[in-house]
Amino acid sequence: MTSITVKSLSFYYKKEDPILTDISLTFDQRTTAIIGQNGAGKTTLVKLLKGLLKPASGEIWINDQDTRVVSVAKLAGYIGLVFQNPNDQIFKSKVIDEVMFGPLNVGQPKEEAITNSMNALLMVGMEDKKDDHPYDLSLSERKLISIASIIAMNTDIVIFDEPTIAQDYAGKETIKRVIHDLQKKGKWVITIIHDMDFVAETFARTIVLANGKILLDGTTREIFLQKDVLVQAGLNLPHVTQLGYLLEKNKTVLTIDEFIKDSKL
Amino acid sequence: MVIKALSLYQDRTSLVHTIDPITKLVFILFSLSFPLILQNIYWSVGILIFCILLLLLGKVFKQTLPILGLSFILLLSILVIQGLYSPKNETLFFSVGFIRFYEEGLLVAVRIILRVTTLLCSVCILVLTTKPSDLIQSLMKKGLPAKIGYVLNSVMQIIPEMRSTMATISDAQRSRGIETEGKLITRIKAFFPLLGPVIMNALVSTRERSMALEVRGFNSTAKKSYLVEPTFSRIGFPLQIVMMVVLAGAIGWRIFQ
Repeated sequence: MTSITVKSLSFYYKKEDPILTDISLTFDQRTTAIIGQNGAGKTTLVKLLKGLLKPASGEIWINDQDTRVVSVAKLAGYIGLVFQNPNDQIFKSKVIDEVMFGPLNVGQPKEEAITNSMNALLMVGMEDKKDDHPYDLSLSERKLISIASIIAMNTDIVIFDEPTIAQDYAGKETIKRVIHDLQKKGKWVITIIHDMDFVAETFARTIVLANGKILLDGTTREIFLQKDVLVQAGLNLPHVTQLGYLLEKNKTVLTIDEFIKDSKL
Repeated sequence: MVIKALSLYQDRTSLVHTIDPITKLVFILFSLSFPLILQNIYWSVGILIFCILLLLLGKVFKQTLPILGLSFILLLSILVIQGLYSPKNETLFFSVGFIRFYEEGLLVAVRIILRVTTLLCSVCILVLTTKPSDLIQSLMKKGLPAKIGYVLNSVMQIIPEMRSTMATISDAQRSRGIETEGKLITRIKAFFPLLGPVIMNALVSTRERSMALEVRGFNSTAKKSYLVEPTFSRIGFPLQIVMMVVLAGAIGWRIFQ
């Protein structure tokens, strides 16, 4: 049974300089975006969820496992995290080996690891690159490989840290599809992201972090309705939403499709 | 992520901090050679006390203690070995049971200890009260090639940077289920997945860094100017002259004695 519970979590490297203060949260099956200015504590929060950092106070439970006690390697079976920079993880000389590394580590039998890895590569559209050397691929392709290598681990929860960086339109569309596919399979998807257009188009729920606290938490539509609060937190609205507000006040348009359907033209 | 700087520099305001690095380098030379030339143990003690006073004046004496403490075990062993086994040993100084310490050996040991401590203290004066970049810049003005200056400077930055990359990579691999804690064999196994990205990242960033340097005219033969000109007290140069004169005097005194 998938579950994530964060109870009055605080974290700091130096006591006088807290990074997260008193955060309580639960997640659910809705795809969730975590947004906030640089330094708001987003990456710290997901590192805590992943067990890479331990709470200074408060607690985090992932699938009834206490992250303070369980080792990161154990937690890796429940919760996957795609790092921002794919170069931080790629070390095998063949794409397929790289993708299979995680699944084998979390104890999948070889046959299953191969199937999961091929499916994951299919999902990100990189199946024909399976025998290439990862460093012969472009950065955006390597990013897709690093995404596939986490998906192949078949964890209940998948976290992305800035998945759309260095991706062109096609890449973003692929990642959007991956997120929806994962959700359909019953996975919980959490994403740290700066691209507001992508947030509006992709995620059901949005959490806004500011100065280590939760500023807003709700459906993405509710969040982008609070434009003044967002601007104060140093965040932009999606472009199409801005346009919507300019044309017709008090109406939140989230996607281009919506905008076109709504327009009276 | 907290990146620790690879430097012992302590940011304080004191008279010692305002002295330029070259003068401090000259002082290291002076504090070492002066007692050596005079061969008199009282001068050695005097110079050491002077160094400690300078450290106190620079408000960095506390930071010197761990460095001295580290060498303490070595120095203690010199005292024991020389005191017991020096070939010059004749006069019994004291004995504990059948262990006999001799005056000559102990004196040799004390001299060595004084020299090492003086060296450590005078180097500490330089290292603890001077920004590494200021030191390198001063040396470059004195004729150190700019490329070597860059290498020295970049070591200060690249090592902490690599350390933080290492931490990120280790996190990324632990996230994929590598157990990094526990038995030696698990630790060794966990090492290889770290090695690849670390080396690849280092190679990639080296190439990028060299290109970034090149577009900013690193190989230009024009005379280089400096972005930041640190201001040092004018007393530095006269101090260097004084130390040189005193040293020359000491040499003269030894020769004609």
